[in-house]
Amino acid sequence: MTDNQDVLAQATQLLRQHTDAGWTAISADILHRALRAFRPSAPVRGRHELGDFFIASDVVVARLRQAIDAVPNAAASRITCTTGQHQQLTTVTIQIVAAYGTHLITLAQHVHAAATRSLANELGELATAHDAIHTHVHIGDVTDDPRDVL
Amino acid sequence: MVRWPTHQHAPPAPAGEQPEDHALARRAGLGDRDAFAVIVTRHGPALYRFVSRLLDEPADVEDTLQETFLDAWRGLNGFRGDASLQTWLFTLARRRAQTHFKRLPASGSRPHADVTDVTDRLPARNADPADLHRQQDLLTALDAALRMLPPRQRSVWILREIEDFTYADIATVMAVSTTAVRGLLERARSTLTITMKEWR
Repeated sequence: MTDNQDVLAQATQLLRQHTDAGWTAISADILHRALRAFRPSAPVRGRHELGDFFIASDVVVARLRQAIDAVPNAAASRITCTTGQHQQLTTVTIQIVAAYGTHLITLAQHVHAAATRSLANELGELATAHDAIHTHVHIGDVTDDPRDVL
Repeated sequence: MVRWPTHQHAPPAPAGEQPEDHALARRAGLGDRDAFAVIVTRHGPALYRFVSRLLDEPADVEDTLQETFLDAWRGLNGFRGDASLQTWLFTLARRRAQTHFKRLPASGSRPHADVTDVTDRLPARNADPADLHRQQDLLTALDAALRMLPPRQRSVWILREIEDFTYADIATVMAVSTTAVRGLLERARSTLTITMKEWR
């Protein structure tokens, strides 16, 4: 390696380890502004004692994720909602990652129950009526990394 | 009923260890703000390092990073993991930064800065004997030398030499072939070696 290349190698190594002060100054603002951004999503109809209301499907999905992630040995990897007439939720498909060694049928039952409770909380009687929403649980992956299902 | 094995082979996760990128992306895509915050904290410094060496104005750098993370927050629910999260984020950042290049020569093949300006800005190697100052001077010299490179060469060099991307990942970020990546990288290395020769 020539002297010139050696100088460049030293400088390169320094830059690899360098964190710009500029990032430290703006990082909190950038995160805050990104999380406040509107994420467009379809409305889903809910019903409570005072009548019907609408809730963004993004919110329904976020609450479902929280409920499913609370089930031991499972984590949601994809959740899709399908609405029918009048924006009523008809189908929810939940894809999960399961921890290796878990009894999968039992796990799917727990996920199904957690999803049903969450939908009832969010959408009221439109979710609790018999067969109102078809909930499908799909085990898409099995992982041996416990951090994937924390 | 068929019984699956219930024993666990995987070791427990070390306390306090953060999830991998793919798990964070999955959670953030489903609306998990905490997971997104970890993504920003983990990848923000490298993205800043990249973008701030492509654009001159600090305001443009901040705008580009803001737009990049907005794109990420809005787009993570569609992120399929075909590329790594890191590659995807750098691709978003490169696209956003490119909009600022439209004020510059369109081909992206001409230097961004004048050679004389850059060599004049290179600090002298013996300007300060203290090691800390020497390191700072060396970084300043490299930054000045990088400004001499055309944006595409500069981008490729940073992605390879600083961020340790593979040629294939660089090709994805830059939307060019791996052959083009090799060419751009070779030219960038040659120019930087010659330019840093001035730092004596």
